[in-house]
Amino acid sequence: MVYGYVGKILRADLTSGRISTEPTNMNWAKMFLGGKGLGAKYLFEESKPKTDAFAPENILIFMTGPLTGTIAPCTPKHVVITKSPLTGTFLDSYAGGYFGAELKFAGFDAIILKGRAKQPVYLYVKDGQAQIKSAENLWGKDTHETEKLVKEELGDKEVKVASIGPAGENLVKYSCITNDFYRQSGRGGAGAVMGSKNLKALAVRGTQGVSVPNIDEFVELSKEIVKKDVVGNPDNEWVIVDGSPAIVRMSQEAGMLPTKNFQSGTFEDVDKIDAKAIKEVLVRRRSCYSCPMACGNITQIKEGPFAGTLLEGPDYETLALSGSNCLISDLGAIAKFNLLCDKLGIDTITAGNAIAFAMECYEKGIITKEDTGGLELSFGNTDAYIEMPRLIAFRKAIGNILAEGVRVASQRIGHGSQSFAVHAKGLEYPAYDPRGSFGMALAFATSDRGACHLRAWPAASDAFGKLNPFTTEGKAQLVIDDQNKYAAKWSLIVCDFYAIGYGNIARLFSAATGWNVSEDDMKLIGERIWNLVRLYNLREGLTRKDDTVPERISKDPMLDGKAKGRTVTLEDFGKMLDEYYQLRGWDKDGRPTKEKMAQLNLTMS
Amino acid sequence: MPKADILVDKCTGCRLCEGVCSARLVGNFDSARSAVYVESLLPENIVIRPFMCVHCEEHPCVDSCPVAAIEKSEELDVYVVNKSLCTGCGACVQACPYRGIRLDPVSQLAIKCDFCKGQPRCVDVCPFKVIQIIG
Repeated sequence: MVYGYVGKILRADLTSGRISTEPTNMNWAKMFLGGKGLGAKYLFEESKPKTDAFAPENILIFMTGPLTGTIAPCTPKHVVITKSPLTGTFLDSYAGGYFGAELKFAGFDAIILKGRAKQPVYLYVKDGQAQIKSAENLWGKDTHETEKLVKEELGDKEVKVASIGPAGENLVKYSCITNDFYRQSGRGGAGAVMGSKNLKALAVRGTQGVSVPNIDEFVELSKEIVKKDVVGNPDNEWVIVDGSPAIVRMSQEAGMLPTKNFQSGTFEDVDKIDAKAIKEVLVRRRSCYSCPMACGNITQIKEGPFAGTLLEGPDYETLALSGSNCLISDLGAIAKFNLLCDKLGIDTITAGNAIAFAMECYEKGIITKEDTGGLELSFGNTDAYIEMPRLIAFRKAIGNILAEGVRVASQRIGHGSQSFAVHAKGLEYPAYDPRGSFGMALAFATSDRGACHLRAWPAASDAFGKLNPFTTEGKAQLVIDDQNKYAAKWSLIVCDFYAIGYGNIARLFSAATGWNVSEDDMKLIGERIWNLVRLYNLREGLTRKDDTVPERISKDPMLDGKAKGRTVTLEDFGKMLDEYYQLRGWDKDGRPTKEKMAQLNLTMS
Repeated sequence: MPKADILVDKCTGCRLCEGVCSARLVGNFDSARSAVYVESLLPENIVIRPFMCVHCEEHPCVDSCPVAAIEKSEELDVYVVNKSLCTGCGACVQACPYRGIRLDPVSQLAIKCDFCKGQPRCVDVCPFKVIQIIG
């Protein structure tokens, strides 16, 4: 009897149309848990080195974790794992909602897809069975229409759907996958990989349930953890009170709120996009599966040109990167932009970055109205801003170049624009300017999928905590500790918004699986997973030079706010990176040593 | 007789109620087989709310059952489904205006809330106190 896991994997080869099932590799599950770790293991073992992200051979994995579908707090998420078309690295992109739990109820720990369908298709999975169905009538539709049409066609309003919009079909490099209407596997372009496979959607439904060894004990443990460590833990209070928009003010005060394409760290109109502004348009809160915190804000804009706009969001990252970073202060415009991106299927973090980058190009005269299709693409121009998601999704005018992300766009546009293309490994920065939290420079640079705030968040300890944010000292260990713990957390999968420690990670995993796993075991597993993904990225050709900070951060002094005048120089950064490699047990080029691999049981045959 | 009151506007859709209910009824976490179930209709109209037996006075489910499978439990002071009599015909599902009774998709028999024989687990687990017991 398998507990926690449901013990089966579904495979679909879209080229041949062949569908098969097999047992989940439980030896791998013991070493890599689920989610990120187990997905990384399958990707590593089943991909040839340097596979093109859009090649039929690139596998696309929808993976759950051993807690998914149970009532363990804050465990709704599934993860999409593949090679990223945006960065060329490992990609793990998580989404909340109900899709992950339903996939387990349908009888599978994961779906592994490969190949390319001749015509648009979608995959329907129900209670251990799967079929590939035509999506001819869905192609071209946005994600909301697609989800509604799939439910209609299947005659089941409770089926859970994950789909791509036109952006994914048009291979926009940062296309997301949307499930449950408002939840996205946002970053890194997993939606474009779906598009390259002619796969419009997945629909899952099931009645098979998830078993644990002692269900009464598991229920009591979950309730105890909710009481003492989730709802009762002051570290999670901001999630319960405001959700992610709480961070707008925190970042502003720390001088790290991205503003005007990361030129500034404070935004004059911050009061128009902060948690208080969101509260004024709040309709109700929304939870994902098994979450007692309900961080989701369903909002409706009351007045102005975007009155009536209704969505779940905007979240912090969107408020910052699609708001302050583009100098947009109209919350209605940001909400509308957010909704457009969700429906068209674009990541709002990268989109906000790409548009802010284009605005800076425009203001510097590097691009003109000839490039923008006639738009006055200056900072703060709402009329032009609101047109951009469509231009990107359909690859029109400047949108065609911006659809490649800022790294490639800046290479093509040239004229010095690379100096203000803000990314790591090709993934645009999330909304924490490292000049206000030097630890974030290392967190972004060493993050496996490119710049990500959810692989390590040292800002919690420096900019938002007690440590000095303006020094690189002591930050390497902080980043490593976070990365290892998050690797374990992302493998169970526990939501980022629950600040869980190793103790409860180990307790919940042991209670779900019946395996006796200690805190120390979990620490080792987290480190093992982080190193496995590093090996994948090295195999794909990444080197030390990819672990770096963009010029905007290393050369341009911050214009104002608490971090005014600060840069994270390449010299300081290099020292921090050396320390990081050394503490990781990696060589000077960032390669895990033989000793480290042996210690982690990662020695490959 | 105790009744359930559902404060529909407070529900966020976490579905923890389904988890604990199915844990008791079928011994694992299986939302589709829970007696309480959350419907969340999006995106244009926002409806997020649980459905369950509210233990109404009129009990049309009882009256509609052709085999009298829904019986008053004197011990619990609520109506419960007698599984050995239920044929899964679905008449009760049609009759209930509260959508409070449904067929288990696996056993194909009617399932409804019995207040967990005195200590409703959904009431206990709900973070937002959506489900209340009166009387």
